[in-house]
Amino acid sequence: MSAPAIAQATPIKDLLLKEDKLFEETGHLFGLEDLARKAEDPGSYEAIWHILLNICNTAWAVGCKVSSSAIAVEGGDALWGLHLPTGEAIATSRGITAHPGLLSLFIRSLIENDYEAEPGIKAGDIFENNDPHFGGIHPVDFDTAVPIFYDGELVAWASGVSHVMDAGYILPGSIGFMNPDSFADGMPVTMERIGENDKLYPWYAMRVKSRTRVPDFVMGDARGRLAGCLTVRDKVIELIDKYGLDYFKDVAKEYVEDGRRYAVARVKNQAVPGRYRKSNFKDLAMKGKRVIMPQQDIDCMFNLPLQVDIDVDAKVNFSLKGASSWVPFGQNITPPAIISALLNAYSHIVGFDMFNWGAVAAWHLDDPPAGSWANPYPVNYFASSGVAWAPAVMWMSSLYETFGRAYYTRGYIEEVAAGAGTTMTAEFSGINQYGMYTAGLTLEQASNGAPARGMADGENSAWCIYTPNADFGNAEVTELYYPIIYLGREVEPDSGGYGTFRGGLGHTAVWMIKNTPGIEYSCGCAGMRSKVVGNHGMFGAYPAWPDRPSYASGTNVKELIDAKKPLVHRRGDPEKPNMELAIKADLMESNVIAPFVTPQQLHEYDLIMHPISGAQALGDPIERDPAEVQADLERGWTRERIASDIYGVVATSNGKSEWTVDEAATEAKRQEIRDARKARGVPFREWWEAERKRVEAKEGMATAVTDMWRSSMELSPDYGEELKAFWQLPDDFTF
Amino acid sequence: MPEYDISEIERLIDGKLPWTRVQEIMKAAKDSDRFQKWVQILQSRVSWNEQILLPLTTNLFIVQQGDDRVVKCRCGQNFGDYRVNWKLNALIYVRDDAEKLNEVYRGREQPDSEWTQIREYYCPGCGSQLEVEGVPRGTPPDFEFLPDLDTFYREWLKKPLPNEVEFTDKTLDVVREWA
Repeated sequence: MSAPAIAQATPIKDLLLKEDKLFEETGHLFGLEDLARKAEDPGSYEAIWHILLNICNTAWAVGCKVSSSAIAVEGGDALWGLHLPTGEAIATSRGITAHPGLLSLFIRSLIENDYEAEPGIKAGDIFENNDPHFGGIHPVDFDTAVPIFYDGELVAWASGVSHVMDAGYILPGSIGFMNPDSFADGMPVTMERIGENDKLYPWYAMRVKSRTRVPDFVMGDARGRLAGCLTVRDKVIELIDKYGLDYFKDVAKEYVEDGRRYAVARVKNQAVPGRYRKSNFKDLAMKGKRVIMPQQDIDCMFNLPLQVDIDVDAKVNFSLKGASSWVPFGQNITPPAIISALLNAYSHIVGFDMFNWGAVAAWHLDDPPAGSWANPYPVNYFASSGVAWAPAVMWMSSLYETFGRAYYTRGYIEEVAAGAGTTMTAEFSGINQYGMYTAGLTLEQASNGAPARGMADGENSAWCIYTPNADFGNAEVTELYYPIIYLGREVEPDSGGYGTFRGGLGHTAVWMIKNTPGIEYSCGCAGMRSKVVGNHGMFGAYPAWPDRPSYASGTNVKELIDAKKPLVHRRGDPEKPNMELAIKADLMESNVIAPFVTPQQLHEYDLIMHPISGAQALGDPIERDPAEVQADLERGWTRERIASDIYGVVATSNGKSEWTVDEAATEAKRQEIRDARKARGVPFREWWEAERKRVEAKEGMATAVTDMWRSSMELSPDYGEELKAFWQLPDDFTF
Repeated sequence: MPEYDISEIERLIDGKLPWTRVQEIMKAAKDSDRFQKWVQILQSRVSWNEQILLPLTTNLFIVQQGDDRVVKCRCGQNFGDYRVNWKLNALIYVRDDAEKLNEVYRGREQPDSEWTQIREYYCPGCGSQLEVEGVPRGTPPDFEFLPDLDTFYREWLKKPLPNEVEFTDKTLDVVREWA
């Protein structure tokens, strides 16, 4: 594989430009108006598609196992793909499905930037990028690509991406919410050739060693990505040997165009044309906390608005008009990364077959407002993307709800999903139980509750917005990586909102620090909300609550263990937390506004309670089947006050976890709730008249909120005009 | 392409199909006559006679009422032209202080009222909670879906509606009259 390639008959860049033009002219990728190979032999077409999927999934298994980090080995937070010579993903493995677009754009970028000429592209080369300025999403996700040559011709690419344990950020770990600017964004690999002849250059390992905190894990991930890419390459060459190069080249393109057609058809069959809108907000309250730079001593609120327009041809257009300003934290994302992120939502809620670049070609994203969190570089080229996902995944949650509404109108109720909760991460850094320095992420956040369906509750702890591969890993394995012991990992009652169908419930991990001289707990924001509710509800459901972690330092837990007294295993009552009731501590923080890094290290027998949200609920809670409320009471998944006051269910317990519903009293209670709503509700216009005065006076609004509105209106003047028109505010009004 | 008996669709809607069967339906190609059966089922479940043009939510429908297309609740409450955000004709209750929030969210579960308010939209007719928004002050109410009804019926269903109307958001027209 090490022999240099002969010159391409047609430079790839020329081919790329020609194919872009063909798509523009015909509306079909590569100008493919007919899928000839599919028509001629549909059986082989399907069979080879599945072989390619298997190749990619084999690469995923190989790559994750070769890697040594908890994130890949335990969580599978990675993905491998096969691409056309021009970059478009043909097929991908399981894993983090937001990335095929980025990997495609990375390869395309190599070609657009004339890498064919300098440094050249030949068999055995390894290219990599993690720089958001040139297509990466956030620097902790490393994108790797390996060209596939056959008889000297570049016929495809293999790619891989994985989320490393430590990216060399200004603070330890991989969730760089605290990064003030891109200079804090860790070890860069900017569109580089990092190896030849299937081997990484020596300098690559040297850079990893000097610029990341856990180089063994980071190099393990690099080797894992490479092993997966070589698996794809070698297996694809075997496939070409068997089926012939011409056939492979033809079907590879047909799969991508077929993917585009599938994306269009799915929308046309299941949705309704029109305009969909959903507001969405996310807080980042950092004022008064430990930060890196003085300008970070602020509270921020993100405006994450979504508008989706579906036209007569089922073309889907996305807009972020109204998005608020970039922030001096690592929570800015670039438009290419959002385009790729759309693939993640697509893979969850729209298309499940023939998942590849085709879906990207079927959807369009308007340029997000220049200077916003979604497009920072035109105003601030050094904005950080330490955890670029954070606002984007919350924005993507609106896609779930929006498509859920579209499917509902057509009656495809089994496809309805109400929307996500939040993504709050936990990282540890310090000396571990083996006496070695460690830094890295637990995987708790990778198993939220699933959104409520149109006709059922969501599943508990079985879903994750940023990957279809939801997996929080084994507690026992996590204990091997970090100096912690699980005291609890239980379903958190009522954590999925309140509705006819509730969101799947989240869980709370309770950790005791053990076998370390000291360790930091970073409660990170990869899409959390702590000041505001978890999201909207849908069709009249109440939203899930905010993220509020807890920790205690300088505890009496050792004394309790020695005396064989009860410890804490769950959070308990929100007003009388178990931790406060059962534990004594020098520092007791039972209701913390996230995100944060502990101001001081935690030590032996200190405790952490890290909650993971459920998802969103659907429908008026007083229409929930009382039998479902009863079942939740008996499983400890809802509480008596919520059953009574929110669900309107009158039930009594026999003290043995068995509950009986009084149906007549429940009916009467629910009628009382309806009557009470009608009594306290006011006509909208009456409220509007009073509220517009409060808006104009900025009454009761946090500074972060008025700052957000001001930037949204400045960055998207049309959006500002509509907002002013709705509240009938003066022309010169600003927040 | 599969077709399902209307009674099976009804059981699906009501959550009474076994999960394994629901999964089969999810994995299969979509049944092309679902919309027709969906509307037929929903129409049979309301007490009024106006034709349902498009179900919007679990409680709200766009219906043909005479020459007008209006949003109607299950209970029959009329929310007016479907091109105006129906929330303008709903009752609203806003939880924007700790006391009001406390009825739903307590202790560590309570959001900060300076950052967000919980808006509950009720049907004036039956008291159903139609939508809930968690938004900061200043957010106009979400107009979640303005369907392009005529394109949908004419181009996608191939059954054009009589008396086509302009596809436009008329919400601000109403608000301007209030000022």
